[in-house]
Amino acid sequence: MSHCWGMAVDLDRCTGCGACVIACQAENNVPTVGEEAAQKSRTMHWIRIERYYEGEFPNPRVRFRPVLCQQCDNAPCEPVCPTYASYHTSEGLNGQVYNRCIGTRYCANACPYTVRTFNFFNPVWDKPLHLQLNPEVSVRQIGVMEKCTFCIQRIKASEIQAKAENRALREGEPVPACVQSCPPKALVFGDLNDPDSEVSRLARSPRGAKLLSELGTQPKITYLQRDSWDGPNS
Amino acid sequence: MERRDFLKFGVLTGATATLTACEKPVQQLVRFVPEEDFVPGVATWKPSLCTLCPAGCGVTVRIMDGEAEVVRNGQRGILKMGLAKKLEGNARHPVNRGKLCARGQAGLQVTYHPDRVSGPLKRSSSRGSGDFQEIGWPEALSEVVTKLAELRSQQQADSIRFVTGEMRGHRRELINQFLASLGAPAAVQFAPLDEPVLRRANVLAFGRAAMPSFDLERANYVISFGADFLGTWNSPVAQSIGYGEMRRGRPGNRGKFVQVEQRMSQTGANADEWVPSSPGSEGLLALGLAHVIVKEGLRSNPTEINSSREVEEKLKDETYSPTQIATRTGISANRIERLAREMAAHPPSIAVIGGTPLAQTNGLFNALAVNLLNMVLGSIGSPGGMFFAPGASTVKEASSANQSVDFVAQVLSGGLENAEVLFLDNTNPVFAMPPSWQVSQKMKRTPFIVSFGRFMDETSVLADLILPDHSPLESWLDDVPESGTSEAVFTLAAPAMRPLHNTRAMPDVLLEIAHSLGGSVSEALPWKTFEEMLQASYRELARAERCHPTDGFEKFWGRMLEQGGWWDGQCQIHSPESPALEFQAPEFVPPRFDGSEQEFPFYFQPYVAEAFLDGSLAHLPWMQELPDALSTVMWGSWLELNPKTAEKLQIQQGDLIQVRSRHGSLETPAVLNPAIAFDVVAMPMGQGHAQFGRYAAQRGANPMSVVAPLQVEQVGSLAWAATRVSLSRTGRKGRLSLASGALYEQEKELELR
Amino acid sequence: MAQTAEQIQRDLLRPVLDPSRRAKPVIAGLALLVLAGFSAWMYQMYTGIGVAGIRRPVFWGFYITNFVFWIGISHAGTLISAILRLSNATWRRPITRCAEVITVFALLIGAMFPLIHLGRPWLAFWLAPYPNQRGLWPNYRSPLLWDFFAINTYLIGSLIFLLLPLIPDCALLRDNVTGWRNKLYSLLSLGWRGTQKQWHRLEAAMHIMAILIIPVAVSVHTIVSWDFAMTPVPMWHSTIFAPYFVAGAIFSGIAALIIAMVFLRSSLHLEEYLRPECFDNLGKLLLVMSLLWFYFLFAERLTTWYGNARPEIAVFWLTQRGPYRHLFWVMVGCNFVLPFPLLAIKKLRTIAGTFLASVAVVIGMWIERYLIIVPSLSHKFLPYAWGTYRPTWVEITITAATFCGMALLYLLFSEVVPVVSIWELKAGLREPVR
Ligand SMILES: Nc1nc2c(c(=O)[nH]1)N[C@H]1C(S)=C(S)[C@@H](COP(=O)(O)OP(=O)(O)OC[C@H]3O[C@@H](n4cnc5c(=O)[nH]c(N)nc54)[C@H](O)[C@@H]3O)O[C@H]1N2
Ligand SMILES: Nc1nc2c(c(=O)[nH]1)N[C@H]1C(S)=C(S)[C@@H](COP(=O)(O)OP(=O)(O)OC[C@H]3O[C@@H](n4cnc5c(=O)[nH]c(N)nc54)[C@H](O)[C@@H]3O)O[C@H]1N2
Ligand code: SF4
Ligand code: SF4
Ligand code: SF4
Ligand code: SF4
Ligand code: SF4
Repeated sequence: MSHCWGMAVDLDRCTGCGACVIACQAENNVPTVGEEAAQKSRTMHWIRIERYYEGEFPNPRVRFRPVLCQQCDNAPCEPVCPTYASYHTSEGLNGQVYNRCIGTRYCANACPYTVRTFNFFNPVWDKPLHLQLNPEVSVRQIGVMEKCTFCIQRIKASEIQAKAENRALREGEPVPACVQSCPPKALVFGDLNDPDSEVSRLARSPRGAKLLSELGTQPKITYLQRDSWDGPNS
Repeated sequence: MERRDFLKFGVLTGATATLTACEKPVQQLVRFVPEEDFVPGVATWKPSLCTLCPAGCGVTVRIMDGEAEVVRNGQRGILKMGLAKKLEGNARHPVNRGKLCARGQAGLQVTYHPDRVSGPLKRSSSRGSGDFQEIGWPEALSEVVTKLAELRSQQQADSIRFVTGEMRGHRRELINQFLASLGAPAAVQFAPLDEPVLRRANVLAFGRAAMPSFDLERANYVISFGADFLGTWNSPVAQSIGYGEMRRGRPGNRGKFVQVEQRMSQTGANADEWVPSSPGSEGLLALGLAHVIVKEGLRSNPTEINSSREVEEKLKDETYSPTQIATRTGISANRIERLAREMAAHPPSIAVIGGTPLAQTNGLFNALAVNLLNMVLGSIGSPGGMFFAPGASTVKEASSANQSVDFVAQVLSGGLENAEVLFLDNTNPVFAMPPSWQVSQKMKRTPFIVSFGRFMDETSVLADLILPDHSPLESWLDDVPESGTSEAVFTLAAPAMRPLHNTRAMPDVLLEIAHSLGGSVSEALPWKTFEEMLQASYRELARAERCHPTDGFEKFWGRMLEQGGWWDGQCQIHSPESPALEFQAPEFVPPRFDGSEQEFPFYFQPYVAEAFLDGSLAHLPWMQELPDALSTVMWGSWLELNPKTAEKLQIQQGDLIQVRSRHGSLETPAVLNPAIAFDVVAMPMGQGHAQFGRYAAQRGANPMSVVAPLQVEQVGSLAWAATRVSLSRTGRKGRLSLASGALYEQEKELELR
Repeated sequence: MAQTAEQIQRDLLRPVLDPSRRAKPVIAGLALLVLAGFSAWMYQMYTGIGVAGIRRPVFWGFYITNFVFWIGISHAGTLISAILRLSNATWRRPITRCAEVITVFALLIGAMFPLIHLGRPWLAFWLAPYPNQRGLWPNYRSPLLWDFFAINTYLIGSLIFLLLPLIPDCALLRDNVTGWRNKLYSLLSLGWRGTQKQWHRLEAAMHIMAILIIPVAVSVHTIVSWDFAMTPVPMWHSTIFAPYFVAGAIFSGIAALIIAMVFLRSSLHLEEYLRPECFDNLGKLLLVMSLLWFYFLFAERLTTWYGNARPEIAVFWLTQRGPYRHLFWVMVGCNFVLPFPLLAIKKLRTIAGTFLASVAVVIGMWIERYLIIVPSLSHKFLPYAWGTYRPTWVEITITAATFCGMALLYLLFSEVVPVVSIWELKAGLREPVR
């Protein structure tokens, strides 16, 4: 009955294209902040594609790594929040109640993944760009913290739909916006409580690893490491 | 009737189709969700089409009720209407199968952009001043009609020019029929991403002017020469889907991917092996690989061609042996041999070429060489290889393969100056051509310019009249994707939402002008609206055998609008009918570069920016704030150079650098990139707009301002990667917004900034 | 140097009964600067917290630095005074009140910073547990809530600790003034008549308070340190933080006290009372704290370096030889290299010497707070998310204004009540001078 939503990120598929970044921005009313604020690292993206170089010319390598809220089971951002704005939901997600947030930014310091973004000012959509806003997701105001919700509105919509049709949720339902958009299917979302779901299967992959697992945050995202091509004779 | 025939038929018979009774009810139902049918807060999904790049991905639009401030009949008011809220890939569309790239999703912001031209404008002071006054549609149209009537009466219709951007389907068809009925020459296309060089090479090699498609899903080995095929090139979404499957879709069988380029692209960043050959030597490297395969008899499943023998013999020539070409390509003989043996041992293999190598003066040689490598690999028209999409033949080849080249020729031969009337649709040559070609100055001499621009850009600002087009989401759209699918596909979409502004669809405006001109022009274009033209044309498609619309056209039309087009569901890989008609081993042509090595020590490589493409998307705030995949820069432009080079020149990250060529100079901040050759500097295209709305104007620098006006030999298009430049420090810091705080993750290379 | 009770009373009541005219322009100047800071705060409140320089990933900057710094300064008073009272050090008599008042003011200023730094300061009251319709309570697991309780407890405790020994002096003032001031002092003296019973109770109450306030003071900076140590941030997540913070607090507190005493001494002509022995003794204390501070710093740095954990060592090198190295070495100079000889060499441990050392320590300890907060946040675990921090004029103005605010409050206080306890000095006359 109860779900445990999780994700797998296949780094061998991810091409660093950024489709997920815009998908999330569109779905979740994530504002743009403009050049001046961007220069101050105040962008609001809920998912970012980390780019790391390895080695140097003529043998450089690059690794891309999409990083979003890891929905930690043991989330450092939760206990530090004085108002329970950052809290653990019954489905094991890290919820963020914008209305309760007073803007201490403590959770953002505590989050080892630096995925929480803060509204330093009220977000602005130059008219008529405001018409693009998704009415199913509230627009956050100045002084509150926000971050990836695993597209909670999509999860809820699917659950409600399934309940209305008196059935269980199917595999591939719900789909967060970033997962929906990813062309090489690097992102897989699903129920970790269902051992047969694709995400559970991938979470058990020998290529799987948790980001900063040494910190004991117990993330619900599994990263499948990039593979290498073995030479013709191996 | 063969399928290919009816595909041609579908697009081309529009001219002869006659007006038939309108089937109103169906069309009403699918066009807009009537307001009274909206359930507040419940989304409806409607198919549409992405027009932001030539890939032509299918879209679904989430429509929800909302209140928009709109202009109707000159009056501003609040209208409760269905509003597009999000764009996702159309899951049923064969090209993109439910996926969209970042740009495609940001297409939403084209509609809602605050700086759209919201109604017809007339120039109110000198050309280029940017002063316009609002006028009504009737006056605006009557001006155009008067002008055209005058030219017709003076037998000067051949001085009418129509320049469009990348355009397919019935919009293009309508434009050409309109021009033909006036007695004017056909429209020319100017689209910087059009790849005229590859098209010419494909004509020579395969008799096809189309862009190729690739069966990456089934490939085991992919070598790409400069093509950013996962980012911006050709059909990136389709190719990314295929790439994902090539990597992990077949348990136990992970394909290898090799990228050849001098500056690591987003695509190159994913390669298993990255091969930095010298600029312009890509074709030679391809021939070297082919040499090894032929010489060592490694061909497993060669594509048979008429001239196989001769070509093989020629390839065996020692001039192409790895040892001979090692110096020229900068790649060791051992490595060339190893790569050749690998790709031969792991079929199916594909060679891809795009981007920089095609923008060298010897681009045609490079393209032909890679085509030849594909032939040697046996990848042409076979599973896991390259092929031509079934729809492709109908599109480009029906008109001309060298549209962008024609435009360059026109600019250079004074064609623009001699024009009496110039129509511009969805193209910005002033921005995308080197200043030394003086497009702007030449256009200023054209007596009458009409632009259908949705935005005020560097080209539209020169117009006398601006007749703003609807946004794509407000328009009827159709398209035949040229690449990225093995099915025959027609994409068709009704407007997803009502227009926000006092704009009109360009095709409808042309029809209205035609009807006002009356006579033969009006007769040649009998449809009241573009929608009618589409229906008439697709009625022919419905008659074609394969569609079997036993339930009549209305139902067929309804189904098409519901699913976003028509496709036959039969995936087939088509080899070109007569591969390698004229296939020959091309003679090596060395690349030429503008500027001496002493004075201008660096190769200057502009590249197509992930976020902005050629610059046509720089106006979208989501794209401006999307960190570039490699440099992670937002909201600006930058110059990439190797940290070692920077150290030598005492340049630090963020320093404002002056880039100088023989043809101009620009200033932009430096970004260190460990994955670029020491003698190459690279700069993204797309920024440096003088006009283009609040988010793009006066931001960054346009690499075109230093690009030398060299042309690709035997093709004539701009060789935009053939310029040499010098760098100097300005002593100032540039404006640089970086998303990334570090280049490396490993501790030994900790960066402290 | 024997003084009489009358002399003491005359000298020490003078600043209150006959405030110097010279103070007026100083007060006006300070008030203006405080007003500037207040305006900057209002501007920030109106425009948004974004006018400060904080950003991702450095979500805390000047404001939390100031918070920790001022709470640290507050440890001067009450704690020192309590320890000296309990140990019955005679040289404490002239300095206890100067010290206690620092605590109260520094706490008030320090406690403002968490509010100034909030994204939505108008909702700060949600930190308080109060019964409400929704049954919503704050999160008791959050160290910020522990702060809330600790600071409030300390504030109340130190207010009582300040006001208790004020009672006899207020009664004295009450008897020397008329009008509204008479009413004020009557209120503050709580009906003091100086009976034996009252003296007894006062002594007993102060004894109890002195014992109680010590653990409270220790807990306050322990808890402030836990704001950091409870989070998995490189170099914050440290067991040494609690004693390190407490030591640092006392260290900076003593320095602040010495600075305040030097100013009081010259401006109120209290040369007879705030005598060189006081400075000498406080100087010795400061020396001990300086050594202790250096010991903690060494222990912290050594274990980090030796442990060589990737995220920690990144922050370590950032401060050691990265962009924060200048600040780091200035801090070491201010907190150890400069004060050590000044305080260790008896000849240099003069009023001027201790003053100089104290100024250095206050600067050094402010930098220490900054260096604890900013470098760690700027280099957390994932290098892609590394960043920087630059304060803006708003933060700088507000910070400067709080220093002026402290001086202003101190000045005003010294004009309202005697900053040196009259009755305690008088009592001191009865005991043998050591
Ligand atoms: N303009 C407008 N008015 C409305 C509605 C509307 O949509 N728009 N909706 C109506 C409806 S359906 C409802 S239910 C009511 C709801 O009306 P309210 O009950 O006023 O609901 P909110 O505004 O959501 O929340 C009230 C306040 O509680 C704060 N809050 C969050 N956590 C805490 C806490 O720990 N302590 C305290 N004290 N406050 C906290 C929130 O920030 C917010 O300012 O409004 C009604 N009125
Ligand atoms: N992020 C966030 N989410 C919240 C809350 C929050 O504070 N923050 N608050 C929650 C609470 S307390 C509530 S009550 C819900 C409210 O959520 P909703 O129930 O969705 O409330 P409204 O947004 O007011 O939408 C009501 C709709 O009814 C339409 N309507 C108005 N009058 C009529 C009528 O007579 N007939 C019909 N058929 N339609 C009508 C309106 O046009 C509007 O579209 O939101 C909840 N969701
Ligand atoms: S990733 Fe960060 S924000 Fe998300 S649950 Fe974990 S600690 Fe919290
Ligand atoms: S910023 Fe908001 S969510 Fe984060 S700890 Fe503070 S109150 Fe809680
Ligand atoms: S799961 Fe949803 S909220 Fe989270 S990053 Fe993806 S799109 Fe954004
Ligand atoms: S959309 Fe997919 S492939 Fe593209 S960056 Fe995101 S995760 Fe990677
Ligand atoms: S590749 Fe991207 S921009 Fe091009 S058509 Fe597809 S979605 Fe649109």
